[in-house]
Amino acid sequence: MKKTHIILLVLVVVGISAIASTFVDFSTYETFASAAAKPGKKFQVYGFVQKDLEMKYDPTQDPNHFFFYAKDKAGNVKEVVLNDAKPRDIEKSEWIVMTGYEQNGVFYCSRVNMKCPSKYKKEMVTAGKG
Amino acid sequence: MDNQFIGEHLLPGQIGQLFVVVSFVASLFSCFSYFNAARSEKDLANSRTWTIFGRVGFGLHAASVMGIFGALYYVIANHLFEYHYAWEHSSFAMPGKYLLSCFWEGQQGSFMLWSFWHCVLGLIVMRTSGKLETRVMAIIALVEVCIASMLLGIYFSNAVKVGVTPFDLLRHAMQNAPIFSQPNYMNFIKDGNGLNVLLQNYWMVIHPPILFLGFATTLIPFAYVVAALWKGEYEEFSRPALMWGLFNGAVLGTGIMMGGAWAYESLNFGGYWAWDPVENASLVPWLTLMAAIHTLLEYRSTGRALPATLLLFLLTHLLVWYSTFLTRTGVLGNTSVHAFTGDGTAMFYHLLSVIGILLVPAAALWIWRSRSMPKIKSEEALLSREFWMFVGAVVLFISATHITIMTSIPVWSPLAKWMTGKDVSLIDPMSHYNNVEVWIAVLIGVLAGSSLFLKYRDTDAKTIAKQLAWPALVALGVTVLIAVFQKIEKGQYVLMLFSAVYAMTASVFHVVGPQKMKFSKAGASIAHLGFGMVLLGILLSSYNKRVLSNNTSGMVLPFNKKTEEENIKESMENIILYKGRPDTMGEYLVTYTGDSTENGKDLRVYYLVNFERSDAKSNTKEHFTLYPDAFINPKGMQGLSANPSTKHYWDRDIFTFINAVQNNKDADTATFRSQTVSNQGDTVFLEDGFMLFNGFSKVAKNDPRFHIDDSDLGVTASLAVFDHTGSFVKDVNPVYLLKNRKSVENVEDTVGGMSLHVKFNLKVLSGDKAEAQVMFKESRDNLSYIVLKVLVFPFINVLWAGVIMMVFGFFVSIGNRLKLKA
Repeated sequence: MKKTHIILLVLVVVGISAIASTFVDFSTYETFASAAAKPGKKFQVYGFVQKDLEMKYDPTQDPNHFFFYAKDKAGNVKEVVLNDAKPRDIEKSEWIVMTGYEQNGVFYCSRVNMKCPSKYKKEMVTAGKG
Repeated sequence: MDNQFIGEHLLPGQIGQLFVVVSFVASLFSCFSYFNAARSEKDLANSRTWTIFGRVGFGLHAASVMGIFGALYYVIANHLFEYHYAWEHSSFAMPGKYLLSCFWEGQQGSFMLWSFWHCVLGLIVMRTSGKLETRVMAIIALVEVCIASMLLGIYFSNAVKVGVTPFDLLRHAMQNAPIFSQPNYMNFIKDGNGLNVLLQNYWMVIHPPILFLGFATTLIPFAYVVAALWKGEYEEFSRPALMWGLFNGAVLGTGIMMGGAWAYESLNFGGYWAWDPVENASLVPWLTLMAAIHTLLEYRSTGRALPATLLLFLLTHLLVWYSTFLTRTGVLGNTSVHAFTGDGTAMFYHLLSVIGILLVPAAALWIWRSRSMPKIKSEEALLSREFWMFVGAVVLFISATHITIMTSIPVWSPLAKWMTGKDVSLIDPMSHYNNVEVWIAVLIGVLAGSSLFLKYRDTDAKTIAKQLAWPALVALGVTVLIAVFQKIEKGQYVLMLFSAVYAMTASVFHVVGPQKMKFSKAGASIAHLGFGMVLLGILLSSYNKRVLSNNTSGMVLPFNKKTEEENIKESMENIILYKGRPDTMGEYLVTYTGDSTENGKDLRVYYLVNFERSDAKSNTKEHFTLYPDAFINPKGMQGLSANPSTKHYWDRDIFTFINAVQNNKDADTATFRSQTVSNQGDTVFLEDGFMLFNGFSKVAKNDPRFHIDDSDLGVTASLAVFDHTGSFVKDVNPVYLLKNRKSVENVEDTVGGMSLHVKFNLKVLSGDKAEAQVMFKESRDNLSYIVLKVLVFPFINVLWAGVIMMVFGFFVSIGNRLKLKA
């Protein structure tokens, strides 16, 4: 075997193992129950904004505090606090992914990803009214 | 059964649709003719005839693509809302300068733009490719067939359709809506849906054409490589592939960074790069292209690395198609902030078939030819340029592989779920990519610097050690300086800093030393210098990105040594500003002074935010106003859609954007109440809470709220504010100033969260006793306010300058090679 090939091989092996080792960054979508089992640990919870329950963002009290209720895929409803301004169009989200941790019965999150209905569907609604 | 409809303009659409069909048929004809011409190369007369057919076909195709553009432009410019495309992407209110942006907001317009560039490039290649014309053009025409089919809009049934035409009628696209049963429905459609407000930005006018030119250009080296594999001829293709590759690198690089600039200027995720799938999908082809260019250089000088070169160029173009697949079919779902909507399953299978049509023959050809490709038996020397260039290409390829695998998670996660029963996702994409790619940056920076000095075949070890010693020493010194002054402490980021600086110093030394300042030959060094600057700019601007509206400095890049709870507590990034009430942010006194709208059509509201910085002694050192703006309740959306506003300095940017607004017409009607305190512990009662007096103190000199001269006297009163639950909120420090010992100035302090404003008058009693008449008001309900985020990006200009430098290097290289032929 050529020595150059050995160096390349080492590089590839290091590269692949480096990438493989990052698989610890992966997470699976959890429920509020599994987050509650380990308070303080970071989880991603898949769920739905409860649009008929209270939703509160009052910047005069705290501009980094958005409060709402969400239901996870197991059907449990929980109080959620996002430490940022209220995300635009969250009322229209089909589902959301909350990244954060559980403490004292509240799920605190740093990030909320939303799935909003496609533009096309929205247009169907408006067009139907017209 | 067709009704007659009143007020429709059907002619432009019919002409447009004609062009669509002609462009498809002509590209098919051109491809077929060129294919025959290539097959009958030995029979000159026959081949000649087919070639002419191929040219005519391609010319007709190119003309039709222009025709489609013209027709669609007419439809949009004249607001013919009976066409779905015009209705969906434009409106009367939209400013005329964004007319072009309408084209590429939609799926079809993007394909048209792509096709347009293929036509332009194809016409150039037709004239310049000489002996290879038939084969190269057959491939280009084949790809054009694929794109033209995307616009066809032929419906076999509701489920099976080929392409979506941009000239679809609104009543067609929404057959079920009851309004279209009325013949005079046009009377009810007063206005279009309008352009997404995020796209109403000058970057969106120029960024897509450049990016798509970059995507389109990948086809040309691809076609040349297929042409080479086709007949097993590996000589002629290499020069044009290199020239087009260099041009491609410059344009695609510019396009990607323009996308970053757009995100920075108009999106509010607070940065120019977020490892968003759409960004990644455009970066990956650039990485493989860079690898391909370098192995091609190696092949041209030493005859090595031919199989890798061919493979990388093939891959680059195929990855462009894959990125189209990722971003246009909706498979990415929620993982992207870029709002492309999927056009359903038809588009999914259509793009998949196109990738198959290109991938299968290309892969088969490469595998079939790989045995007979010329190879060099001997081994590269360890100190040769070709060896390290190849290593660099492998590193780039690993990076591309990593980014592709991670970006494709939504594609393969269903498979993973089927095998393991779990959903897979990246919990923190930003820090994941940063943590892996920093090592790639370290390796590439060092390779980019060192390989310039290496010679092909072999380099004398002593010479190279001597040549590399100086740039390495200088880089080390600069690294230490920057690391100390910019407080860069994490090991891998210090390494990246060194690597970036070393790439820069080595490039400069290379131009000055071995190249003897010969500008025409300095293309590679200039490009590598630019690349080093890009790395440096990325590192400095992201590592020390600060949240000014938080009044604390610190790293925001998620390096993740802290617990999630600490992270969340530290990232209180929004601050509330009441109209006319100054607040301090870092060294600035910031005031929201009002808002304004541009008269007429534009629906955005500009918020005037004053920034003022004073020095310790007296005068205002600096004063500027930023105008972050927002569309309030844009069509179909609740809340607001904000655009940032940025103050640019040579060494940093101050970046602001609005997160919420409250606009009350009422004036500030709350009045000050007052109460006198004199002893420590005296209490002032508030509507919801109380304040404890903690005594007087001397005035701090460098308070941004006021200026104090030597002739002035000042006293600070210290009060602790508690809310109605009795928990401590914060200390307020209003100031009583006696200017020139004559005029009185009462400097307020505020508690934003309670909208409490406090000032006081000083009364000196007998001896050294004094009392304060504390005046305070609470006026939460009737004040206008904005919720603002303010970020500082240090040295972001190094990044932009680096991009320009790198692109400049590419063009110097191209220029030099053009001259060599003459």
